[in-house]
Amino acid sequence: MAELRRDPIVGRWVIIEDTPAKKPQDFHVEAHHYEDPTNCPFCYGNEHMTPPEIQAFRFDKTPANASGWQVRVVPNKFPALQIEGELDRRGVGIFDMSNGIGAHEVIIETPYHSKDICDLEVAEIEKILEMYALRSRDLQKDERFKYIMIFKNYGTAAGATLDHNHSQLIALPMIPKNVAEELHGAKEYFAFRERCIFCDMIRQEIDEKERILEESRSFISFCPFVSRFPFETWIIPRQHRPNFRDITADEIKELAPMLKNVLGRMKVALNDPPYNFIIHTSPVDGSCKAEYHWHIEIMPRLSRIAGFEWGTGFYIVPTPPELAIRYLKEAKI
Amino acid sequence: MPELRKDPILNRWVIIAVERARRPKGLRQVFAAPEEGECPFCEGKESQTPPEIFSIRKENTAPNQPGWDTRVISSKTPFLRIEGDLNRRGQGIYDVMSGVGAHEIIVETPRHVANIADLEDIQIAKVVTCWIDRFVDLSQDERFKYVLIFKNYGWASGGGRIRHSRTQLIATPVTPKRVKEELAGARAYYDYHERCVFCDLIKQELRVKDRLVEETSDFIAVTAFASRFPFEIWILPKKHSCDFSSMSVESRLHFAHILKAVLNKLKTSLDDPPYNFVLHTSPFRRRKTRSGYWATIEEDYHWHLEIIPRLTSQAGFEWGTGFYICSISPEESAKYLKEARE
Repeated sequence: MAELRRDPIVGRWVIIEDTPAKKPQDFHVEAHHYEDPTNCPFCYGNEHMTPPEIQAFRFDKTPANASGWQVRVVPNKFPALQIEGELDRRGVGIFDMSNGIGAHEVIIETPYHSKDICDLEVAEIEKILEMYALRSRDLQKDERFKYIMIFKNYGTAAGATLDHNHSQLIALPMIPKNVAEELHGAKEYFAFRERCIFCDMIRQEIDEKERILEESRSFISFCPFVSRFPFETWIIPRQHRPNFRDITADEIKELAPMLKNVLGRMKVALNDPPYNFIIHTSPVDGSCKAEYHWHIEIMPRLSRIAGFEWGTGFYIVPTPPELAIRYLKEAKI
Repeated sequence: MPELRKDPILNRWVIIAVERARRPKGLRQVFAAPEEGECPFCEGKESQTPPEIFSIRKENTAPNQPGWDTRVISSKTPFLRIEGDLNRRGQGIYDVMSGVGAHEIIVETPRHVANIADLEDIQIAKVVTCWIDRFVDLSQDERFKYVLIFKNYGWASGGGRIRHSRTQLIATPVTPKRVKEELAGARAYYDYHERCVFCDLIKQELRVKDRLVEETSDFIAVTAFASRFPFEIWILPKKHSCDFSSMSVESRLHFAHILKAVLNKLKTSLDDPPYNFVLHTSPFRRRKTRSGYWATIEEDYHWHLEIIPRLTSQAGFEWGTGFYICSISPEESAKYLKEARE
C-alpha cells in the first residue's frame, strides 16, 4: 500500500508508491547528447561570444576573456532579471507588478565541452564550489538583494538550453515564495523546540541508517524520507551551518568528492538522467542563523509532472527513498 | 526589461521575461514519446478495464458492455487506494499515513479520439455530468476532503502511452497544500474587501480586454495576468459560485462550448501542444459546525478551470524559488489565441 508522508518543514504531503515500486530501468530517460562544440559560447576560443566575464579562475597570466580559464563566470545573455536600475513596485487594478531587478550569472564549470561535474577531477570540482562561494560573498554586498540562489540544470528535460555544463546564480530583490515557506517552517519548528529541524533530520537519518549514501566528517548524503522525486538526494553539513557562502576551504575539500560520488552514482544507476540541483541557503541579511541549515538538493528528472501535481502540490514518488538508496549504493563507479 | 507580476490570490510572483520571447511555434520542446499501446478504452474493450463505476449509456444496454457515451472506471494503477483506514501516525519528526483515496478515470468517448477538443459540445457536456456525478458521490465518503479533476494530454504533460481522451479524478484524505493556499488567498482578499477576488478579476479582465480570449453569456476565458506558463488560460463562470457541481444542465453545455473553443485555439496556434487542465473547486463543505474552517467559502471562492500548455520544462530556478519565468506575456499570447482559427 502506498504511504503518505509529510514534509515537516513546509507541510507538503508526498505519496510514496511501493506496489509496485519503480526500478531505475522503468523510467523513460532520453539519451543525453552533446551538440557539436564549434559554436559553443562556453568553449575555449569562443569567449567573445559571451558578455564580458565577471570573474574567473585562470592559469598564470592569461588575460580576461581569453582562453586559459578553469572556471568562468559571465552574465546570462538572456537574463530573467537585470542588474541595473531601482526597484519600482506598482499596482494595476487588483494586480501588483514590479520591474525585474536582480543578477543572473552563468558559472561555466569547465572548459571541457562534454564533461559533467561527476566526470571532473575532485580538484576541479573544488574550484567550482569555491567560485560559488566567492560569487555569493560578492553579491551579498549589494543591498538590493535579499536572496542568492545557485542551481544547475543538466539536460534538456531539466531546463538546460546549452549543453556545455554550467550552473547559474540568481540574486533576487525579494525572498522567493518557496524559500519563504521553508524559512517559515524552520522558524516555527525552532520556536517550539529550540532546535534546528535540519539537525534533527540528520540525527534521525543517522539513527535509522536506512537512507544514507555516504557519511564523511563534515557532510552526509542521503535520500530524504519525504522525497518529492524518485532518487532525490541531499547533501548537508553535519554541523549546524546556516549559510553556504561561509563554507571553509576544508569543507570544500570534503564536499567536492561527495558531490562527485552522488552525481556519478546517479549517472550510472539511472542511465545519465537529466537533473537539477539547488543550493538552499539562508537569506543574504544573515537572518535565520539558528533556525536554518544550508544544503544541496539534487533531483533527477525521471517522472513527468502532471495535472495532479500541479493541482495539489502533492508529489508522487514511484520509488521509495529506502529503495532508491539501495540502487545508488549498488551502482558501480 | 523583464517584468514581475504577482498573483493576487496566491501571492506568487512570476517573471514575464519578454526579452526571451520566441514565436509560439519556437517555444515548443518536443520530447520523444514511447509507442502507443493497445487501447483498452475503446468501445468493445470493456472487459479489459476494471468494472465501471458510472456511465452514460444508451437505453437497454448493460454495464460493462458497448453502448456507452462516457464511462467512469477505477484506475488500474491507482496512486491511492479506496480500501482501508488512514492510520495517521508519526515517525520521529515526520508524519505518515496510509495511501487511502480514490483514483478514477473518466473515459470521454467510445471512439479512439485523443483530444477532448475534437469532441462535440454535447459529448463534452456529458463528460462534465460524469465529473459532477462522481464528485457528489465521493463527497459522501467522510474519509475524503477534496476531489481533484484533471487532464494530462500528451506525453510531456504526464499523459500515458494510450492516446484516448480521458480525465482523471483523485479524492484525497487531506486538503492539498496548493488548494489550501488558494483558498486562504481568496479568503484573505474577501476579509479585507468583502468581495470575491475572482469576481473582481473577471470585472477587470472584461474592462481591459487585453487578456480576454473568449467570452460567452455565462463564461469567460482569459490568459492569466500572472501566468506561470506561456499560454496559461483560465476559464471562469461569470456568475459567482464556489462549487462546480452546482452547474445546471444548460450551463454544462455553455462550459463545454467555451472549453472546446479554447482548446481548439490552443491546438491551432501551438500545433497541437501537450497540456494539462485542472479544475479548481471548493473542498467538500460538510463540517459547517467547525468554527472558522472556511466559514465564508461560499462567498469568497469561485470555481474555475486552469489550462497549462506544456511547452517548456521546469528548471532548477523554478523548483528552488517557486518563481516562474514566462517567456511570452499573457497579452501577447491572448493576441495569438484570438487570431487563431477554431
